[in-house]
Amino acid sequence: MTPLDPTPRRGDAGDGLGARLPRIDGRAKVRGAASYALDHPVEGVAHAVIVQSTIPAGRVRTIDTRAASAAPGVLLVLTPDSTPPLRAASTWTGEAPTQPEYRPLEHTIRYTGQQIAAVVAETLEQATEAAALLRVAYDREPAVAGMDDPAAGEGNPLPPLAIERGDAALAFAGAPVRLTAEYRTPREYQMPIEPHGLIARWEGDALTIWEHSQWLDGMARTYAEWFGIPFEKVRLISPYIGGGFGSKALALAHGALAALAARQLGRPVKLALTRPQTFTAFGGRAATRQVLELGATAEGRLLAIRQRGCNETSVDGVWIEPLSSVTALMYDLPNFSSQQHLVPVNTVLPFAKRAPGENPSAFGLECAMDELAYAVGVDPLALRLRNHAERDPQSGKPWSTRRLREAFAAGAEAFGWARRRMAPGSLREGRLLIGWGMAAGTYPVRRSPGEAMVRVLADGTVEVASSTSDMGTGAYTILAQTAAAVFSVPLAQVRVRLGDSSLPRAPVTGGSQMAGLMTGAVDKAARAAREELIGLALTDPRSPLRGVANTLAVEHGHLVPPRGEAPPLPIGALLTALGRDRIEALRDTLSENGLTPEDRYRAFTTVSSMRPPTDGDYSMHSWCAHFVEVAVDEALRSIRLRRIVTAFDAGRLYNPKLAESQIKGGIIMGIGQALLEGGMIDPRQARVLNNNLADYLLPTNADVPSIEVISVGEPDPHASALGGKGVGELGIVGVAPAIANAVFHATGKRVRELPITMADLV
Amino acid sequence: MPSVTTLLTLSINGQDHVFEAEGRTTLLDALREQLHLTGTKKGCDQGQCGACTVHLDGERVLSCLTLACQAEGRAVTTIEGLAGPDGALHAVQTAFLEEDAFQCGFCTPGQIMSAVACIREGHAGSEAEIREYMAGNLCRCGAYPHIVAAVRRAAEGLA
Ligand code: FES
Ligand code: FES
Repeated sequence: MTPLDPTPRRGDAGDGLGARLPRIDGRAKVRGAASYALDHPVEGVAHAVIVQSTIPAGRVRTIDTRAASAAPGVLLVLTPDSTPPLRAASTWTGEAPTQPEYRPLEHTIRYTGQQIAAVVAETLEQATEAAALLRVAYDREPAVAGMDDPAAGEGNPLPPLAIERGDAALAFAGAPVRLTAEYRTPREYQMPIEPHGLIARWEGDALTIWEHSQWLDGMARTYAEWFGIPFEKVRLISPYIGGGFGSKALALAHGALAALAARQLGRPVKLALTRPQTFTAFGGRAATRQVLELGATAEGRLLAIRQRGCNETSVDGVWIEPLSSVTALMYDLPNFSSQQHLVPVNTVLPFAKRAPGENPSAFGLECAMDELAYAVGVDPLALRLRNHAERDPQSGKPWSTRRLREAFAAGAEAFGWARRRMAPGSLREGRLLIGWGMAAGTYPVRRSPGEAMVRVLADGTVEVASSTSDMGTGAYTILAQTAAAVFSVPLAQVRVRLGDSSLPRAPVTGGSQMAGLMTGAVDKAARAAREELIGLALTDPRSPLRGVANTLAVEHGHLVPPRGEAPPLPIGALLTALGRDRIEALRDTLSENGLTPEDRYRAFTTVSSMRPPTDGDYSMHSWCAHFVEVAVDEALRSIRLRRIVTAFDAGRLYNPKLAESQIKGGIIMGIGQALLEGGMIDPRQARVLNNNLADYLLPTNADVPSIEVISVGEPDPHASALGGKGVGELGIVGVAPAIANAVFHATGKRVRELPITMADLV
Repeated sequence: MPSVTTLLTLSINGQDHVFEAEGRTTLLDALREQLHLTGTKKGCDQGQCGACTVHLDGERVLSCLTLACQAEGRAVTTIEGLAGPDGALHAVQTAFLEEDAFQCGFCTPGQIMSAVACIREGHAGSEAEIREYMAGNLCRCGAYPHIVAAVRRAAEGLA
């Protein structure tokens, strides 16, 4: 269940943080032995299938369930009429519910693909067949298909997001060089390869849920509130997650339904969304639109940026995709004005996808900087250096660390950028038009408290436990490395348990904060356990080392008197002498984050105590620079990537091998965003037309060129206890504009709407 | 219409399994739901992602597009059957570990089954060829460059 069988290795101090070690959960994964949510064998499980609305707005008038109920194996049919309400849960941001009840099935329809019914049967095949037998009658109302629907209007202003710095209108009006352009990004979907699903089982009033989770404690809280049971009565189990990218942080409506069905039937229920259902059962990235006006000197020094943007949200609620997040701080910019509207449409409420905000923000800004480079005739990299911000222009605070210049230099050197000729179309190989483009990216350092238990056993094994999760980030491995470093033991001697809400608390694995905060919590707990061991060794009457020395070191799993007063004593031998089977320490980092023990529950089950990057004396961010080469076929207009070099500053890397993998993964998702991905919305039914993996295109192996990543970071003592900054989201930020800029360099054609396809180049 | 089940005998990883299944049951659902061989993953159930790749008589197939009854009389190999009886990993599994050819690991059983077949088919001659012949297996974590490296390494080791 958890990786108790790490690859045996010869260990030494080289197993600590910073080592390029393979994943300790890797062996289970390559053997097919890692159990994901729906892999858990649960006795007597029934299968649920959900049914989604086929109209975008209106009401479910009736659902005729007769044929479905009579179908073989059917145990239960849930419809808005037959489904009792649950209690409303507070939000993930920690706000109390506005209504007393929550209905996972409603008569009111707000978007196509909203869940309206479920069928539970003995087998998956029977449930699927019966679900198709439901006859739904609707009363249809007019809908707004998307933000370009004329009925959508301008949307609602969002005053808290507005920024006025200096006088952007005046500075723009007087600028020698001015350019205005509109940039657009479509709906994009997270599409982890593991589709969403869960198994729910009740035993009395205790609920066990096997469900992929980026946030065990937050999701367990939601289930507890829905069903009116104490938090401790919910156990969420998620040792492995088949990718999340933001989509697996919340308990969702189908989860409520599975748990409800299980309670009603008195037996466990497994519910798996189909791949098409994953396009509307939860939100992807909101579509965005922004107009940027850049004013600059003739040399390309920025004088002003005015930004007017909007993002889609649902008629169902508010989702903000902050378009100014990179624009406000990337460059030395004296005058900045930004306003953003939210446009409610009939869609599922959008949610977080890798780098929400930073991603579309950087697409606009970094394309516009390329346009400015051409407007003033300055190399795009030189233009960025010319506008380098020495401190955060928005908060006025100094950067904690910002090795962006170093990233530019290292990336440009590895790529050979100096050989680039400015003119579009100046590079050619036969019928291929070659283009070189670059762009920068950034992602903030977010901080929340963490909690971990570290235990030393008599056989010398070190155990680490926390409810945080590893969705491919490498959490198992880096947390093992953290503990291995404190006790100076080989990695094979460390066991890590994660992904279980009954373990010590952890906040959301999102916002690229997990590695920084959890290595801090594990380090603290491990040091506490080590201190206790040393204390016992020095003072306990049964200790062979009592009275031998007045301090001890811990090296290679031994307690070592500093001047060789006695031979090193294995930790396990000390425990045996003490008659104990373990020493353990549970520690949290609440106080380091300005919180008290009373804040504990709220801090781990909501995001209300997550600290922004400028909380404190510094402005803290990760940085990156992407350099890409594309080849556009002159006749076919097909676009192929040929190589990518990315240099990045994410502070100290706890395991460079795994961090580099994650950066590459972000880059590859950025390739999809640039060239392949976009929800196609049917304007009549407000429906996602391409709701499957053959029509909503993800990058395949054949789409991805060689990618070189270079870390230029150094430890950032302000960002986290052990010096790392965020990695997970950084890699995607700036990829799409770098590719768009390369396409311009190849073809002379400026495409400002994603994804860029052949059709844009004809 | 009552569901009609028949008794099927499937040879999986060298072992015979006898179980009741409906004619419409896919090989993927039979493996996962009835035989509890959950190493094979369902990523789409539509033949679009490759997560469910297994071998039938040594050739790669998508088990979500194969009916369980179609596999009767043929040798089914899944990720669970790849390592040796002593637990020793297959060369491709080892190469995936060493090259960090996965992150979340969900696509990995399918990638590995495809990779074994890709090498056996003689389609691992160059990086470009590997990319093309591994393109049916999606990886949303974006482990592709490392998958290519792992397939190369394993192909060289097996040559
Ligand atoms: S599950 Fe079979 S191809 Fe996706
Ligand atoms: S490793 Fe996550 S999808 Fe491939």
